[in-house]
Amino acid sequence: MIRVEGIETSYGEVNILRDVSLEVGEEEVVAVIGCNGAGKTTLLRTIAGLLRPRKGRILYEGMRLDRLPAHKIARLGIVYVPAERELFPQMTVRENLELGAYATIASKAVGEQLKIVFDLFPRLKERQRQFAGTLSGGEQQMVAISRGLMSKPKLLVLDEPSTGLAPLLVTEMYRQLHQLREEGLTILLAEQQVAMALSLAYRAYVLENGQITHHGNSRDLLKDPELKKAYLGIA
Amino acid sequence: MIAVLFDGIVYGLQLSLLAVGLTLIFGLGGVLNLAHGQFAVIAAIFTWLLMGKGVVAPVAAGLGILIAGVVGLIIDRLLLLPAYRLKGDSRLLLALMLTLGLAFVIEGGITYRFPQAELSLLLPIPMIKVLGVVIRTASLVVALGSILVLLSLLLFLKRTGLGKAIRSIIQNEEGAELCGIDPARMRTLIFIFGSLIAGLVGITQGLSASLGPQAGFELTIFALIVAVVGGVRSINGTLAAGILLGVVHAFTSYFVGAYMTYIILLATAIFTVLIRPSGLFGRWT
Repeated sequence: MIRVEGIETSYGEVNILRDVSLEVGEEEVVAVIGCNGAGKTTLLRTIAGLLRPRKGRILYEGMRLDRLPAHKIARLGIVYVPAERELFPQMTVRENLELGAYATIASKAVGEQLKIVFDLFPRLKERQRQFAGTLSGGEQQMVAISRGLMSKPKLLVLDEPSTGLAPLLVTEMYRQLHQLREEGLTILLAEQQVAMALSLAYRAYVLENGQITHHGNSRDLLKDPELKKAYLGIA
Repeated sequence: MIAVLFDGIVYGLQLSLLAVGLTLIFGLGGVLNLAHGQFAVIAAIFTWLLMGKGVVAPVAAGLGILIAGVVGLIIDRLLLLPAYRLKGDSRLLLALMLTLGLAFVIEGGITYRFPQAELSLLLPIPMIKVLGVVIRTASLVVALGSILVLLSLLLFLKRTGLGKAIRSIIQNEEGAELCGIDPARMRTLIFIFGSLIAGLVGITQGLSASLGPQAGFELTIFALIVAVVGGVRSINGTLAAGILLGVVHAFTSYFVGAYMTYIILLATAIFTVLIRPSGLFGRWT
């Protein structure tokens, strides 16, 4: 469905990503794992069109994405949910969600999408009239993911859905993500919580210092002694 | 006294209209348009020219406002393009220089070509008695018209999908982009919109007072003060600030003299910034 081929992205003079390639198939869930600063966010921002790669290309159903601005990529159905959430703080939860559908979905279909995300996160239904800026971190993360889901995305690109959440909430969030996976949504996610990510994803790539060092099935990666030591804290 | 108060409110409403445009363009484009008042002048002078050629006033005024909008489109798409390529402070600074230059060019050009131009529209019924007070019909029309425009603008921004999309960019541009909203397109739309409203103010100024080629800078400066007092990103605050400063303006002009009004208006602005840096209401819209 989406193929990243040898991209290099830099901030000014510094190269953050070096020759990164990866692939996500239809209805697949793929994780990118790695430490803080490994380049995970840069990779996802490049896919979302918020950063331009200096080299390489990104193909989505045969079409080049790496030259398109972010809003066009979003309209193609590739929806990026950043770790910072980037909500509209002075608008209600409901308005935030409606804006997620604004550019992509016929206004008649918005009610139906709202019902779907309220079923997934009943908490948001209770909070729909509240300003997004007044919500707790966990609730804001729910709004961010739901806003992404409002446009019926073909590919959901999630950056660290566990950021800033209490452990209990992380487990809860992942339960919802598992449900989305069962419904057949294609997901690419970056995560530091390696065990959580690998339980959700079929396949994973390990990013270290801007390069892919390992990739394979989640099950095999979980057994890899080197990775166990580095990311799971198990000797 | 009531007449002075009323005049102040009428003038203040027009400043609100100008300042709302300034505020929206700043919120969406990160650009302070120092030529904003010149769009009022453009509309007024074109209306004056067309009326000189025998076009009836309402049609001439409509065309004048339209021309202000067209000039706005051209400025956004051509003159400001180099500024839009930059981000943050460098964009703001380059745009300040570009729009300041534009303001000089427009004022100089119009003053040179039409030194005698002056739009002054007269209504068939000059005076009317409301609640025992005799006021100018034109002022009443301008006040009601301005309130109508401001209220529809507020409703548009708060209630419609397009209005919410515009506010979403002001609150979080990246978030809006991730929703598939094109900030550049919305910015152009708002620039045209702001120019049209400024054009309208040119006409209402012609109705309630008169407007010549050199009025642009004063309008821009007053609108800037109103925008600062109201909070550069708050629409409601801008409305309130416009009326407040309009009234202050009317009373100081009446009791002290025109030269003092600048100082007092600026003092009001400085005072507000010192006690409430984010404006009267201190909240983003």
